[in-house]
Amino acid sequence: MPVDMSKYLSLFVTEATEHLESLGRDLVELEKTGGTASIDSMFRHAHSVKGMAASMGFEVAATLAHRVEDLVDAVRSDASLLDRELVDLLLSTTDTLLSQVRAAAEGQPPEDSGPIERQLSERLARITGRSPSPTKVAQATARPSAPPVPPAAPKAPAPAEKENPQERDAGLGLPPRFGLKVRIAQSCAVPGVRAFLVHKRLSGLGNVFDLKPALEDLKAGRIPDGLVSLELETSAGEAGVRGALGNISEVEVLSLKPVVFTAPSPPAPMPSPESAKVVGHEAARTVRVRTELLDYFLDTAGELLLATARIREVGKALPARSQPSLDEAVDRLHGLVKDLHDKVMKARMTPLSVITDRLPRAARDIARRRERDVDLVVTGADIELDRAILDDLADPLLHLLRNCIDHGIESPEERAAQKKGARGRVLVSVRRARDRVVVEIEDDGRGMDPEKLKAAALARGLITAEVAGRLSDAEAYTLCCLPGVSTARDVSEISGRGVGMDAVKRAVESVGGTLEIESERGRGTRFILKLPLTVAVVNLLLVAVGEEIFGLPIAKVIGAVEAEAGTLSRSREAALLPYAGSLLPVHPMADLLGIPDLPRVGPRPFVVMEAESGRVALAVDRLLGQEEVVLKALSRPLDLVPGLSGVTILGTGRPVFILDVPRLLAA
Amino acid sequence: MRHVIFRLDKERYALPLSAIREVVVPPGQFTRVPRSPPSVRGVINLRGRVVTVVELRSLLGLPEPSPASQKIVLLDRGRRDLGLLVTEVDGIESIEKVAPAPGKPAASVRGVARLKGLAVTVLDPDGVDGAVAACFAR
Repeated sequence: MPVDMSKYLSLFVTEATEHLESLGRDLVELEKTGGTASIDSMFRHAHSVKGMAASMGFEVAATLAHRVEDLVDAVRSDASLLDRELVDLLLSTTDTLLSQVRAAAEGQPPEDSGPIERQLSERLARITGRSPSPTKVAQATARPSAPPVPPAAPKAPAPAEKENPQERDAGLGLPPRFGLKVRIAQSCAVPGVRAFLVHKRLSGLGNVFDLKPALEDLKAGRIPDGLVSLELETSAGEAGVRGALGNISEVEVLSLKPVVFTAPSPPAPMPSPESAKVVGHEAARTVRVRTELLDYFLDTAGELLLATARIREVGKALPARSQPSLDEAVDRLHGLVKDLHDKVMKARMTPLSVITDRLPRAARDIARRRERDVDLVVTGADIELDRAILDDLADPLLHLLRNCIDHGIESPEERAAQKKGARGRVLVSVRRARDRVVVEIEDDGRGMDPEKLKAAALARGLITAEVAGRLSDAEAYTLCCLPGVSTARDVSEISGRGVGMDAVKRAVESVGGTLEIESERGRGTRFILKLPLTVAVVNLLLVAVGEEIFGLPIAKVIGAVEAEAGTLSRSREAALLPYAGSLLPVHPMADLLGIPDLPRVGPRPFVVMEAESGRVALAVDRLLGQEEVVLKALSRPLDLVPGLSGVTILGTGRPVFILDVPRLLAA
Repeated sequence: MRHVIFRLDKERYALPLSAIREVVVPPGQFTRVPRSPPSVRGVINLRGRVVTVVELRSLLGLPEPSPASQKIVLLDRGRRDLGLLVTEVDGIESIEKVAPAPGKPAASVRGVARLKGLAVTVLDPDGVDGAVAACFAR
């Protein structure tokens, strides 16, 4: 390969993956709604993948994508062709393509796609009555004499003879392209000869693409219905083409029209934000940023906040006349840094749709395998969560969905007997509740049987009979989160092996969330995930109070100052700290936390924080610095303590509580 | 039923073996839980889990928490990370007959049993659990 393709590989992998995922979503959506809007978008996705794969020289993938494109095209003209089997076939092709993209990413040879390709070809033949054409890539590479196509857009470093229709357009100096359909009369005794002649004449005018049937078939006269279609790139113009074919007898030109490439100017608005991101020149307003980079930004913004606080403290030593101007400058700096910190936090926020978009496809697959009819409804997926939480949530969410369909939703017959609608329903709803995001996954299936769960836990020796007898139903439901407990009658491929729910619970808790389960026999089950809005990774200002260490969320810290406790002004016995032009109420942390205060002399640090009623100053013993920590949820009975928002374990192994200052002050 | 026998100073107590996950030696230092009831000794880091440790003596309303407490009995309550600070763990014994305990009834106490001629106070793990939650909720 003359051009080094490796640097384009990661771009190809990202973009092809996105197109394929969108394609899968569109398919599921299309099957559900039967609308036509997604067909165009599906076609575009398949077309883009074909083009990308071809330009990267991944011929197998390009061929598969081409077949998908053909099939989608057929569905476009006759929507009734789209039945379950076709959707299955297209979806598994999408999966095969995805695994080929993955293989390409790892530099592995693509897995064998022969069987699926044959299925696609058969299906295509059945629908169109023609045997499928060879793909453009294969054909293009087989033409060693083809004139070089100049590399088009920067992201298409196409080796010369590769065809890459997506990147082509009139502005790039390529000759115009025509789509041509001719019919060789049924009465013709030598269709192969006529067809060959057509090909030969046209090859003389320019480059032939997308010849259907393939040249070998043409020569052998294997031309279903006498129909030949191809695309021709030529500067001869329409008249020139007609002229070239004019004197071949028994050949009728059915259609001849310029080919319009859809990719550079799509006919419909892009259906999803993902696809908008993909085409760089269309949506230059979004860029990809690596998550590690965002983490770094967040770290640095946090450090800046502390550095600013430090400058303010050091400035106290300056002569009084330079104080006001320094304060002003530091205030401004602080404002900027705080703003930066907020923006970085915001940049890490990602809508839940990033993971819920995969659910419809998964729901369909699981439902098909289990012979269930299921409608999946997702609401509120535009709500945003920190990227780090989302990443950890994808698998648990999928597992819960499996649980709902696998164990929750009954078979259509069973549902009919229960006087329920034949189609089961799984609702995934996302909503904000104060500083938490609540994700609920509920089904309208058979619900869980607390007795069965108890029996399963008992059988595994996880609880004693005595305990089982005492458990409330609500407590019994949570038994399914113990390793090895499952009430599924049969162990399916998908779930029911009793692994999983404990993993779900662990994953949810590790990001600082909680998992609750509600269930009603015969009515359904609801899994409730309450998640922190922002990261389980929090930036803390660590402070020492007495012999203890506590963490204050940096995001809520306004600043820190040092002052001599004895010099503070007082109002009705309460100390007041002068800060940024106002007097802030002082709360000794030791008192707030119920910790014996150490006797001390000299100045002590005060941390200024935002509380419900405005700013407050917290008297601490020492500032220990900033640390980024992983927040742990408070387990019983710690969650009963007001004013704690979480706990973490420092690098030294020491557990440290993270304080919720407004609640601490209110309690 | 098999029980874990342990001591608070000289008095012997028992908890069902099935309710106990493990016994650990306390670390040098506890992290104090702010605003916690006096019977809460603090939290420890047990292999990455944050476990709340409670003075059992104080939870049971016995006078003067013993300074000699040197073992933590971890309750296995599925979703609770709770440890009880006791003086020493003696071993595992079978206890079948439990008679009502003298004194005023308490949720944490199931009753007393006779073991090798000596009295053992048999505790109820759920009752102990409830007592911890109750002292926090106050």
